[in-house]
Amino acid sequence: MKWIPKFNSSNSLRVIFVIAIFILLFLSSIAYKHNRDLNESSKLLMHNYEINIQLERLMSAIKDAETGQRGYIITRNSRFLSPYLFSRDKVNTSFIALRKLTADNPKQQQNLQRLFKLIILRFASFENCLKYSEPATYDKRKLDNHMFGGRILMENIRFQVDEMNDIEKKYLQKRLKIYDQETSLGPVFSISLFLAAMTFILLAYRQISKDIVRLKIYNRRLLISSGLMAESEKIGKFSTWQWDLETDKIIYSDNQFRLLGYEPGAFVPTKETFLEFVHADDKAMIEKSMEGIVNHKSLPFVYYKIVRPDHQIRYLKSTGKLLVDRNGSKILLGINFDITDEHLLNIELQERNSELEKSNKELASFNHVASHDLQEPLRKIQTFISRVSDADKAVMSESGKNYISKIEISAKRMRVLIDDLLLFSRTNTTKKEFIKSSLTELFENAQLELNEAIEEKKAVIITTKLPKLHVIPYQIEQLFINLIGNSLKYSQNDIAPKIVIECDKIHSTLYPELLDQSVKKFYKITFSDNGMGFDPQFKETIFILFQRLHSKTEYPGTGIGLAICKKIVDNHKGYIIADSTPNKGSVFTIFLPE
Amino acid sequence: MQKNALHILLADDDEDDRLFFKDAFEEVKVQTKVEFAFDGMQLMEYLTQPDAKLPDILFLDLNMPKKTGKECLAEIKQNERLKNIIIAIYSTSSSEQDIEDTFVQGANIYIKKPSDFNDLKKIINEVLTVNWHYQTSGLNRDNFLLRL
Repeated sequence: MKWIPKFNSSNSLRVIFVIAIFILLFLSSIAYKHNRDLNESSKLLMHNYEINIQLERLMSAIKDAETGQRGYIITRNSRFLSPYLFSRDKVNTSFIALRKLTADNPKQQQNLQRLFKLIILRFASFENCLKYSEPATYDKRKLDNHMFGGRILMENIRFQVDEMNDIEKKYLQKRLKIYDQETSLGPVFSISLFLAAMTFILLAYRQISKDIVRLKIYNRRLLISSGLMAESEKIGKFSTWQWDLETDKIIYSDNQFRLLGYEPGAFVPTKETFLEFVHADDKAMIEKSMEGIVNHKSLPFVYYKIVRPDHQIRYLKSTGKLLVDRNGSKILLGINFDITDEHLLNIELQERNSELEKSNKELASFNHVASHDLQEPLRKIQTFISRVSDADKAVMSESGKNYISKIEISAKRMRVLIDDLLLFSRTNTTKKEFIKSSLTELFENAQLELNEAIEEKKAVIITTKLPKLHVIPYQIEQLFINLIGNSLKYSQNDIAPKIVIECDKIHSTLYPELLDQSVKKFYKITFSDNGMGFDPQFKETIFILFQRLHSKTEYPGTGIGLAICKKIVDNHKGYIIADSTPNKGSVFTIFLPE
Repeated sequence: MQKNALHILLADDDEDDRLFFKDAFEEVKVQTKVEFAFDGMQLMEYLTQPDAKLPDILFLDLNMPKKTGKECLAEIKQNERLKNIIIAIYSTSSSEQDIEDTFVQGANIYIKKPSDFNDLKKIINEVLTVNWHYQTSGLNRDNFLLRL
């Protein structure tokens, strides 16, 4: 599945997104803290400000009291006394407020306590001043003392208030400084972080759009290949199905529906649907092999019949395999082949084959039996003749003797014919046991067999080293006997026969029209003689059974010898050809596969 | 009929062949007593009689009605009393299969019926002069088929 692209970017995309989110989260948490600190410091400021105001109010109330008292002492008009009378309450209110505001600060509380004591002393001094300024109790010296004492107290009070204000201010400054240190994240850094996050997101976006383009391309390719697949299923008469073992969902290809005799998508397939189509004969077998799929995770080839809704029977061949995809989900993939045509053809072929085999057998046994049964009466004729010639030749007339001798010759010829025919049928019917044999040895055997004829004709045989091949030994020996015998028989009257045997290993491409090109190497063995030769127009007919080029009185023969040669070479998946120049000689060439 | 004459038995259904066989034996110099069985069944009936005089050499044709020569050969070789009879197969057939089969079954020699009376006489002479003790102990495939 080379063509499935690897979208690894999805992983890097995830990483980019996570980083960007973390940066944003970090930024927002910083902003939140910053905001809170700001809030805190403004609260602190308000607090400081309030203390400040209350202290000022306190001061102004005391000052009001002082001013009112002075006005009263000078004018003696009691109207000036009213601010003095109210000021006590104002002081108290401010004091309570201050106490609340400084509740969290023990040092300020102490200061406040001290301030309070000073204020009480101040008011006591007011009372005394009033008392000694009254005409009834007037005492100039005491009044002066108290007035002066009031003055000093007043400065102490101001001093105390200032000190408290100072403390608050210092505290405020300290806190603000801490906040400033805490939220020391500079704006440049924040902005660069933000920009980084943005860059990441932009990168991710770019990757996504790139992936989408690639996806589109692959999607188109997928569409094309699935279209091709559907088309090839139609042409090739096969179909596919997928069975997701996890979800138990089954998907049929379009052609699967067609194979079952339906339009694509005519029904929703389930595990059981398919069985309904299977022919009753094969149902149990298919059911078993379907169980086997789940157990063995694969399905060897099964052959069975299905019945289409229109009762048409189709022959199917199916196989399947378990696929585990990258996500680990198990999908069973199956292929069904509609082999009905092949099956019917096969049946026809088988029938023809067995018919052929039968007729072949009949022919062979006919041939064999005929030859055997023909031998019996012939043998008797010959034996009777031999008896006649022994006992009665002397008293027979010349013509009678002549007839007897003619009968004898005919009977002999008949014997040769039968023997050759028997040999021919035997090359056909006996079992073909191929044994690795040395052709040189077989050739020597053949030569030994023909020794008599070779010596008689004073023939010269020039041989070469022959290979070792897987052959039927006695047949190859017979082949050599027939070929040499042929050369000896058809030699020229006044020339001693010379037979040259040559052997070569050749490539089949050298003889593209003759040799089977699926076999690469052949041994080419040639038998050349200097005999009388034959007209090359007969170079093919001489291999046909009972074909003779000479009258039987010229050369005895049955026309079977070369037919046997051809049969033997055929048995070895080889070839034999002949060529000749009359009165010069013939060349017989055999090709045997390596 | 002398007592020391060789007892020969030929099982063959062919009348002519029996005639040739008889004539040939008469012309052979060795003293013999030749008897015939007309088919395989008759042969086995004769041999399996408890008091039957067993032949010195049994000539057995292969192609016979009722019981073929091969069947007879198998029965003879399974019979304790008969299995040591010297058996010469005497057949028209020279098929490799027949030669192989009878050799494996334990026949002593294979003779192809000749087509010349003189050859027949030669063959009979040959068979009668074979030292059978030597022949049976040194049985081999090469000299099983009698060649002249």
